[in-house]
Amino acid sequence: MAAGLRAVRRWGLVVASASPSPSLAFTRSAFVVKKANNAQPNWLGVGLAFGTSAALWALLIKQHNEDVMEYERRKASAHKCRQCS
Amino acid sequence: MVFLPDESRSLPPPPLLNKGSVWLGFSGWMAALMDNAFNQRPIFGAGIHRQVLLATLGCFVGYQLVKRAEYVHAKVDRELFEYIRHHPEDFQPSTG
Repeated sequence: MAAGLRAVRRWGLVVASASPSPSLAFTRSAFVVKKANNAQPNWLGVGLAFGTSAALWALLIKQHNEDVMEYERRKASAHKCRQCS
Repeated sequence: MVFLPDESRSLPPPPLLNKGSVWLGFSGWMAALMDNAFNQRPIFGAGIHRQVLLATLGCFVGYQLVKRAEYVHAKVDRELFEYIRHHPEDFQPSTG
């Protein structure tokens, strides 16, 4: 995912610097791309990934609790109609 | 076509960690590990943020899919029992 984003950014830089790359879109010659540097973290990507994960977990847990409450509410109102228990 | 109709909320919701969410979360984690392997990074130690994100996405999608599957199964069961109720002559216990 982040590797794909890096590839797009690199391709954009390559075209902007007018290097001898083909003008075909979305090709990526090994002669013009720089090697990915895994030693320096892409802190923006890391932050976005952790932030999105936290948001997704919060959304999931909130939705689950809402589902449970809605189920209990409907079960209770169904019993109320039939005057049992 | 709505993914989760309103009447699906009358069903008991599945637990947060169910078959679907655990399996898809695990497969999302595996996808991150495979991404590390293909890019020649340390398999477990690299890209923790990627592993967490893909596992979370898997759990989320798995939970929604299990809710939909339970709704479809409950709907089919309801129609089946309604049919049996409307056609008792076809469902008598066999005599002899």
